[in-house]
Amino acid sequence: MEQRILFPSSDWFQKLAICMLAQEDEYRRLGPMDCTMVVRVSSPENGDRNFEIVFRAFSVDSVREINDPGDVPPEHFIIEASLQTWQEMIENIREHCGPDLKHTLNFLTFPNDPMRVNGPDQLQTDAFYRYNRSIQQFFNGATDVPTIYN
Amino acid sequence: MAKYTPTVEVGLDRMRDMARGNFDLSWMDSNPEGWGHKVQRSQAGLKLTDVDHGFYGQVPAQGSSHGTMAPRGCYVPEGTISLDQYTINEMTEIWADNAASLYDEAVVRQWNSVTDVPWEKLKTLPDDMEKAVCQMCTGLAEVEFVAGDMPAKWLCRINHDFHEVKLFLATQIMDEARHLDVFRKRALANGGGLLMASPGQEELLAAILNAPDYATASALMHIFGEGFVLTLFRQGEYLAPTEVEKTIFGLCMQDEARHVAYGVKHLKFLLERQPEREEEIHAILEKGEQAIFSLTLEPQTSEPRAILAGGGLANIELGMMRMAFIYQKQVHEYLQRLKVAGIDRTNRLSIPTEIPYAEIAA
Repeated sequence: MEQRILFPSSDWFQKLAICMLAQEDEYRRLGPMDCTMVVRVSSPENGDRNFEIVFRAFSVDSVREINDPGDVPPEHFIIEASLQTWQEMIENIREHCGPDLKHTLNFLTFPNDPMRVNGPDQLQTDAFYRYNRSIQQFFNGATDVPTIYN
Repeated sequence: MAKYTPTVEVGLDRMRDMARGNFDLSWMDSNPEGWGHKVQRSQAGLKLTDVDHGFYGQVPAQGSSHGTMAPRGCYVPEGTISLDQYTINEMTEIWADNAASLYDEAVVRQWNSVTDVPWEKLKTLPDDMEKAVCQMCTGLAEVEFVAGDMPAKWLCRINHDFHEVKLFLATQIMDEARHLDVFRKRALANGGGLLMASPGQEELLAAILNAPDYATASALMHIFGEGFVLTLFRQGEYLAPTEVEKTIFGLCMQDEARHVAYGVKHLKFLLERQPEREEEIHAILEKGEQAIFSLTLEPQTSEPRAILAGGGLANIELGMMRMAFIYQKQVHEYLQRLKVAGIDRTNRLSIPTEIPYAEIAA
């Protein structure tokens, strides 16, 4: 029986990091990215949970859950959405082996609803646009990660 | 009468000397300070930022006066002629601290419209939707290459000591060539064609190309123009009716964000050293704001997007209301980018921060 990984969790993002390593050629084609992304998942039960993913070149340098909200790094961007929105996006990616037209990161964040992207300043937020296809590819790794949600 | 010109004779004399074993070899010790340079490769490969450090990373505030294309850091023999081309010799006029890293990023993130767009996934769209896509692409094909022409206009005037900026601008020219190409290609690829040009856009393009100097042209184009277009690209991806447009806008978005990042850091660098130039920047931005406002409301600019945003001509009014959000976002991000560069234009903005379409319609 396939093992399901809990979302959100550091383990889940580590799984995506492993998928990224396995697809190094594809990431090399897309181009390197040096940036820090924070994924914020909100739910009525668990409040806000924050996960920091540090990208270096073609791989993930580190993943950690940030327990103290004041510890969120002041660089680059935070992508935030409800657990329900993240779940819908991940399941859509899994169903289609990549997002359909209405579930790309840009589609979901552009109107600021149901997802939002924020940085400490506009230039850092713009890093989300600069590396968008690599970040999308990172989440597309969810195709190979059976997931449960809480 | 000599068989060859004096220049050729000098060359032949030199060759005769060499044939006798008299080699010069002075070039081998011509640059002791620059010899023995140590380099550490990044994880991503050997980047410009990896080699341009220490002796070779010293960027002069004033570009060298010899006026040659000799690479920064080499020995330039006395008597080397000046090309007499460079009128932009001050670092402040063009420099941005992120130029080298953006160049590295740009050269790796190049793509092409021939094989990177899944053209096989194009599908027949309803006539109103195809016309809307084609009109949007006509407008973008019209406006995009100004961001190639503008750097091209200034590139040969920039002192060769600032190669980081020159290289970055060269990537930008290639990026814009690709954008012009891919939008034109999309308009022609699905049974439609190019539709109507935009007089309003030409006004903005003229303001960029006729700006009095590079720094003001850059503020107007990199931050203002490309910032607004970046939001349009994000919107294009959002509204994309097929995987083809989705891919095109996604790829263009990344390129455009690099150009904006250079512009913001350049303006910041300039104003930190020459704060007295802020008024010039305000003046050119005001010109741009006026042009973009009238252009945003031109039918050939706003209506196709409204059709796409509404999901068809029947819902164009709904689309117009959704479009108001886009404009608000463009203005907000523009003001925020200026803040990063050190300019607060919130109270000097010469156009509304939002288009009250719903109120007007009511």
